[in-house]
Amino acid sequence: MIRSRLLQGRAVARIISSRGLSTQQYHEVADECLESILAAYEALSEKVPEVEVELSQGVLSLELPHLGAYVINKQPPNKQIWLASPVSGPKRFDYVDEKWVYARDKSTLGAILKSETLQAVNQELGLDLE
Amino acid sequence: MLRNLGFRTLRSSPQALMPLRATQRFYHDKVLDHYNNPRNVGKLDAKSQKVGTGLVGAPACGDVMRLQIEVDDKGVISDVKFKTFGCGSAIASSSYMTELVRGMSLEEAGKIKNTTIAKELSLPPVKLHCSMLAEDAIKSAIKDYRSKNPTLGPDAAKGAGAAATAA
Repeated sequence: MIRSRLLQGRAVARIISSRGLSTQQYHEVADECLESILAAYEALSEKVPEVEVELSQGVLSLELPHLGAYVINKQPPNKQIWLASPVSGPKRFDYVDEKWVYARDKSTLGAILKSETLQAVNQELGLDLE
Repeated sequence: MLRNLGFRTLRSSPQALMPLRATQRFYHDKVLDHYNNPRNVGKLDAKSQKVGTGLVGAPACGDVMRLQIEVDDKGVISDVKFKTFGCGSAIASSSYMTELVRGMSLEEAGKIKNTTIAKELSLPPVKLHCSMLAEDAIKSAIKDYRSKNPTLGPDAAKGAGAAATAA
């Protein structure tokens, strides 16, 4: 029962993009995204203590050694997630096909974080997010 | 008029006042300078063939930026005005952008990156989006100008002399 509801939820998520999300759906997928990022960096910080991460009220603050301060935040008015990276600059992500995608170059939030983290600490980020 | 509207709104809202008080501790002096003495605030005639207008941002997000350029017959930005409703960093980013692009060719102005603005104003990470908005604004103004003057083509700046003669 629960499983089938979950599957239904996934099917719905697959066909709708950010603009089609209801406010509630947006908050669910955006919170889930930020929480998975938080969990990934918390796990990483156990191996690399210089990594600092904090999530509060939809704003995730991250400190990566050698690179500096990141801010990832929810932007509910346009149903986006915003990233400010000291390496790649500011980007705004829309939810498309279950991924958070930057419209201008089609890069994804997960891929950017994984690549910059590898650059910073030479360790893979265990993040289940494209 | 528009300027007054924006600034009065900023000052009269209690929520907007809080970052103002915090400015002395958190905003860089350069942001404060541009915020308190914004350069080139105003409006150009959007209908003029010589004027390109860029309007970016979304009211719902709290930031709207209008940047207008006037381009002379050599393809150089001869006048520039802005009007921004938003946070101190957004106002400072657009104010600094107007100072930067005056006297530039369209091609040069189109190459300005948000990082240049963020560096000059020492913006913190969370405010990088404001400098990006200023980059979007100048690009949008250039695009609008070029759409009004299609004979100049995308290489207007390079071939400005020839294009001006042709026109």
